[in-house]
Amino acid sequence: MAEKYPVRMGDGHFVEMTADEIRAHLIEGSEDAADRGKIAPLEDSEYDFLLDLFTNPARVVGVPQGHEVVLTHDIGTLRLDGDQGNSGVGIPLSRLQGIQVHERAFAADTMELGHVDYSWKPVKPIIAQEQQVLENVLLSTIVPIFYGAMPNLGLYYAPDGPFGNPSDLLPMAKIDEAREAQELAVEHAIRDMVYVATKLWDVGGDAINFDTTGAAGDADFKATLHAVEQLKDSTDLAIEVGMAGEFILGMHGKLEYEGTRLAGLFPHDQVKLVEKAGADIFGPVVNTNTSRSMAWNLARAVTFVKACVEASNIPIHVNMGMGVGGSPVFETPPIDSVSRASVAMVEIARVDGL
Amino acid sequence: MNEQELMEAAAAAIVAADEEKAVELARQALELGLDPVKVINLGYSEGMKQVGDLFERGQVFLPEVIIASEAMVAAVDILEEGLPEAEREKTAGIAVLGTIEGDVHDIGKGIVATLLRVYGFEVHDLGRDVPIDVFVAKVKETGAHIVGSSALMTTTMVGQRALEQKLKDAGLRDKVKTMVGGAVVTQHWADKIGADGYAEDAQEAVQKAIEIAETMRG
Amino acid sequence: MGVGDPYGMPIAHGVAAGMGGIRTAGDLVARMQLAQKMRISEAKAFVADKLRISVQDLSDVTVMREIREDLDIGVITSVPGCAKGIEAKARIADLLDIKINSVERLKRKLSWPTRD
Repeated sequence: MAEKYPVRMGDGHFVEMTADEIRAHLIEGSEDAADRGKIAPLEDSEYDFLLDLFTNPARVVGVPQGHEVVLTHDIGTLRLDGDQGNSGVGIPLSRLQGIQVHERAFAADTMELGHVDYSWKPVKPIIAQEQQVLENVLLSTIVPIFYGAMPNLGLYYAPDGPFGNPSDLLPMAKIDEAREAQELAVEHAIRDMVYVATKLWDVGGDAINFDTTGAAGDADFKATLHAVEQLKDSTDLAIEVGMAGEFILGMHGKLEYEGTRLAGLFPHDQVKLVEKAGADIFGPVVNTNTSRSMAWNLARAVTFVKACVEASNIPIHVNMGMGVGGSPVFETPPIDSVSRASVAMVEIARVDGL
Repeated sequence: MNEQELMEAAAAAIVAADEEKAVELARQALELGLDPVKVINLGYSEGMKQVGDLFERGQVFLPEVIIASEAMVAAVDILEEGLPEAEREKTAGIAVLGTIEGDVHDIGKGIVATLLRVYGFEVHDLGRDVPIDVFVAKVKETGAHIVGSSALMTTTMVGQRALEQKLKDAGLRDKVKTMVGGAVVTQHWADKIGADGYAEDAQEAVQKAIEIAETMRG
Repeated sequence: MGVGDPYGMPIAHGVAAGMGGIRTAGDLVARMQLAQKMRISEAKAFVADKLRISVQDLSDVTVMREIREDLDIGVITSVPGCAKGIEAKARIADLLDIKINSVERLKRKLSWPTRD
């Protein structure tokens, strides 16, 4: 009887699989990515590497010494002071303290300041507060500090914003109205993001992170690209664009940037536009399927990210949060899975950071 | 044009979202005396399935799916003239959908609502931030076959468990099937709370809803 | 990595594959990625060259602790008199020959020479 190994599923729980089964899942996952993205699947030696990871009994695995990469963070300090369920552990620290904890106790290579209402639009009316917090942070920290928030175009649609909601208009076949609402939201979002980021630059900000770009579809991505372009023109801010999903949802379907339609783009094509806009770092996302094994999920994620790294001229910091980048969808991620995902992304996908 | 060719052309018209062509073919089908139900199921619906697959792979997008569904609706309207009265306007099922109270994420749920309508469901979309009692009341009012709830946060997914209980309290639980979805929701969670179905994405949700509705119609 | 479990993520990622922040040279390598879009190999080579050490030594805490103390560019433990915050960053900017916005801004406000 063939030896069986514990392998997690996408939702985190364990199943047992033989080496042959694991390998079959790896190949299937990679080929799924290759088929969807029209990219190359992994090579035999890479399947061998991943198989070794999954059959290794060690609780935690790591990259060889000298192969380490930069570790960036998003969601600001919410993982410490957040108390909205999966956002954080609910410790009442100030944001300055939270950032110092990351810098001095968590070995962060960079850190991020973010607001609890983690989108760009809500920050606009309280920008003075964010500026002052950032000023204090910059005086007392050493690592590069990002200011992060989500473009979140959903906030520009009813009931939160002034424009019709495409989620309501599209099912009513009001396609022209839905598209118009998105186009108007793009203009307002660009203006807001550029305003806020510029204010942060003015007080000494190093960098900004557009987190979960594309969450509201292709309009969300378009707004971010144009905001990057404008900010690179007027400031020296370093800019990271981190995505929300592995392909751009076509809520509009016809929006373009520099002649390329945005809907349907996968990471290796997304990065080209992000680079064109002038961003410094790109954070691709590949979603975890909870009904599939982590072998399937990780091989799939690595395949997409490897193609992205190869297509890019800027650093790639793959998103590896809950349920993305080969990590299970579980609120407190199992470290065996997390460490294997890290190693796979560094050693096979050749990312520049996590 | 023979029957097979017409079926393939009908499917192609939907994939191309060509309403004019879809309607023209529907009229042709009636003139040829073809079985309208067969033409809908093996022609136009096949096209809609292809559109759904392309959507799931990110090769066509939501507005295109809707335009394709409009073409399908127009064609089906014509074909229904060839159906006995009792067969007309049969829905695939009745679905009540909503995002759980406290949660305002609704893009995925909106896509499910759109696709269910495309596949012939009567959909009552309650929107976002929906109190559990509103779900229950709508199930009771409509006699829904399926009630689907979406939650994207761990703090709101607990509302899906509350929905299960409230349906039981209202004596409705055995009359309706529950489906759950959302970024933090898993099959494990669905099993834990006793939901009848879980879907990873919109396309899977529609497939499961179709299967559930067929089971309920017997 | 957006999840609310420091031990599960990012500490696990850090232990598996992270450079180590100001324990080592992680912040310095990150600065080069931000300042000049350097890929990881290039950024490491650049910083290693500036520090006159091997790339492997960049994430070796025994090597980097001493270098950071000698260059006074900040360490994780709380040592009286050791550069902290913007003082450390000012030295890092000189070491790497890059502009750090908060440092430049302080210089402007104090009418000190800037990198322009």
